[in-house]
Amino acid sequence: MARPKSTTGYLAPIALTAGIGLLICSFANTLAREAADPPSLLFWAGVLIIALPIFYRLTSREASRGERLALVCLLGLSLYAVKVVRDVPLFSFSDELVHAFNADQIASHHHLFRYNPILPVTPNYPGLEGATSALMTLSGVSSYAAGIIVVGAARLSLVIGLFLLFTRISGSPRIAGLAVAIYAGNFNFFFWGAQFSYESIALPLFVVVLMAVAERDRSPREWAREWAVPIVLGIAAIVVTHHLTSYAVAVFLAGLAVVYWALRRDWSWPNPWRYAILAAALAIAWLLLVASSTLGYLGPVISEAFEAIFNTASGDAPPRGLFQGKGSSIPDTPILARGVALLGVALLGVGVLFGLKRFWERYRKEPYALIFALASIAFFATLLLRLAPAAWETGNRLSEYLFVGLAFIAALSGLQNWRPSKWPWLGRASLTAALGVVLVGGAIAGWPWDLQLASPIRAGAEGRTISSGPLALAEWAEHNIPEDERFAASTADARMLMAPGERVAFAGKTPDIQDILEETSFSGWELPLLREEEIRYVVTDRREISSDATRGYDFSIRGDEPELMPLATVTKFAELPGAKRIYSSGDISVYELGQGK
Amino acid sequence: MRDQKDLRLVVALSVLCAVLALLIPVDGVALVFAAPLALFLPGYSITAAAFARRNLEWPQLLLLSIALSLTTLVLGSLLLNYVGGIHPLSWAVLLLLVVLGTCRAAALRRGDSGTAPRRARVRLRGLETAMLLGAAAVTVAALVLGFSTVPAEDAVGYSQLWVLPAAGSGGSEAQVGVRSQQQTSVDFDLRVKVGTRRLVKRSFRLAPGETHLLRLRAPPGARGTVPVTATLLRHNRPFSVYRRVKGSLVASQEPR
Repeated sequence: MARPKSTTGYLAPIALTAGIGLLICSFANTLAREAADPPSLLFWAGVLIIALPIFYRLTSREASRGERLALVCLLGLSLYAVKVVRDVPLFSFSDELVHAFNADQIASHHHLFRYNPILPVTPNYPGLEGATSALMTLSGVSSYAAGIIVVGAARLSLVIGLFLLFTRISGSPRIAGLAVAIYAGNFNFFFWGAQFSYESIALPLFVVVLMAVAERDRSPREWAREWAVPIVLGIAAIVVTHHLTSYAVAVFLAGLAVVYWALRRDWSWPNPWRYAILAAALAIAWLLLVASSTLGYLGPVISEAFEAIFNTASGDAPPRGLFQGKGSSIPDTPILARGVALLGVALLGVGVLFGLKRFWERYRKEPYALIFALASIAFFATLLLRLAPAAWETGNRLSEYLFVGLAFIAALSGLQNWRPSKWPWLGRASLTAALGVVLVGGAIAGWPWDLQLASPIRAGAEGRTISSGPLALAEWAEHNIPEDERFAASTADARMLMAPGERVAFAGKTPDIQDILEETSFSGWELPLLREEEIRYVVTDRREISSDATRGYDFSIRGDEPELMPLATVTKFAELPGAKRIYSSGDISVYELGQGK
Repeated sequence: MRDQKDLRLVVALSVLCAVLALLIPVDGVALVFAAPLALFLPGYSITAAAFARRNLEWPQLLLLSIALSLTTLVLGSLLLNYVGGIHPLSWAVLLLLVVLGTCRAAALRRGDSGTAPRRARVRLRGLETAMLLGAAAVTVAALVLGFSTVPAEDAVGYSQLWVLPAAGSGGSEAQVGVRSQQQTSVDFDLRVKVGTRRLVKRSFRLAPGETHLLRLRAPPGARGTVPVTATLLRHNRPFSVYRRVKGSLVASQEPR
């Protein structure tokens, strides 16, 4: 009797190599947590050991649709796990701490829409934290444990959704698998999009809605109502979860409806204009009725972006240097890494050029493909925003939506079909290498070089655990300060106080805590402001890096001690009537303000 | 013939997961039951109800099961916010109602002609199974390594000193705390001045991560608010103040 043929192709050995790659990444992060020289090459080797076998198999003709789907799931989850092993068991990205605070507030107070002192707009979009609260309350786990599982489920939805969407549009699981592989090279896929933040669940739902609309388009009309269920539920959940994604889904569906009309001169089924109106109506209703503060949050960001574009274009302001952080103490991205990132963009450009040719030949009558082609071109326009200082973030955030289109168009380029007679494997091998460059280059372009690996927040010493200054402060506050008391602190300390400290902490410019902490003397307005905000505890931190929301959480490293602010920035608080320094850990002190009149 | 085994299984699993997630007091174990209840079963049952009259392929079924579970959690939290609040029981009841309601709808819509979704058929050889188990083992090892706390010898150690009203004392007692975040065990001298005359001295050794707490009352005869000043010194640098904090306590009004 013949042995049954395997239905999984090369999935098992590729899964094993992915596991080994993940182990190498975890080991590299462990070395980085030991405050050793960051072993970047080891880390990127681990990433490539995960990705390259998957990429190579995706380029093949032989793999079944099921195997390709399993491979893209493996890719998405393995790369997500790289981010998870970087940080366990604490969130360390700045937005994660804000959202973890919201989730903790929901779990302990049993209601949504609690107050967030650092990003007040976030409680108005409680989808992620509401979903996380289900796991937290049902199982009793922390917001960290529940959060990484919810984002992991969303990540799985994202890659499956992309694969099914691209399969439906192209008719080819091979192109679909390659398009998902290209999408993994989007600047925000590796780190930013894997964090515990509202966009990390909204973007996958956005893709699921796109997939459902595409499936509805290809289904018999009598099945259209069935697809309405995931489309409507998906749109509603996006509106409750994330402002930008809710506008993106409305704009995309509106654009799709217009393209349907332009190609077919017909507004009737399957033109999705009704869903576009639904998405726009729900987004506007939520904005006006629930989340009106979003206007004040997004307005300045967008207007500053436009101003920066104008100033840079007119020569009034110098262009922003690529790969540059905000502070002088931030290390430069190495030349080789910059080269990889730029090469990745160049390869995408070449892929899109060839892909657009194929699109024109075969897919130009397809509404989705037409939108994707426009998005792929728009992506390169958004790269110019990176040259304008206040606009680069807007461009960066737009890229993950536009990359859906870009990934599809670039996957049409057909390099995998190139089979020179002498080396028939060359096309597949070249494409695999190119995908590797795009993946690594995207991660380098999307996240600061010095933050790719973990840094020591906790450490072992004599068989016990010690914590960095900001974390120890948060742990102290959680155990010793009543929950309803309010803190003012520098950006990093405030975020740690919020999660895992679960305390209300103000930071930044609104209210102007930053100036209160950084000035060497008082001018008179400070104490009334602190009283007005009912702040009882002021945290001073002499480390200049404490104002950095992405780097201010770690231990100081011997030989690389942080730059300090003048001592007077701390001691001035002792001059306030009734103020007492009740906590000191060296660089960090806590002053309790006297009772106000 | 009706094929509704999958719906019966989903209902049974949902009830089991809800009950066990609520009853098991160990967080990690409860999560094993809460996760499928929250992240798969509601989506599966909604998909089964929506697509009762057609055979959805397993990739679509898998995607919609996860994605619609996420939408159920997002929109469900909004509902619970206004009806009953967000509690373990309210979540369990809501998710069970969603599963029961949509499974019932699926059963009715399937009728006699409908069928359960087709499952993916996976055949694995022995070597493949071994490699997949190996992949799982290596992944677990990577996560364990990530979770492990490792020494960071170049990390600069320090210690915390604080003074606060002692919990439950109404301010009549002060608690002075010292917590070592040093790389090695360190000998400390703690001097606490209560009021103008009383000086309390303690010498102790703290291992990394260890805490020393001292609870103090106002000296006899003291009245009103009594200042407390705590000074921490290290044995190896006895003439240099390492940390100093200030607090206060309220002298209790004891009858003479």
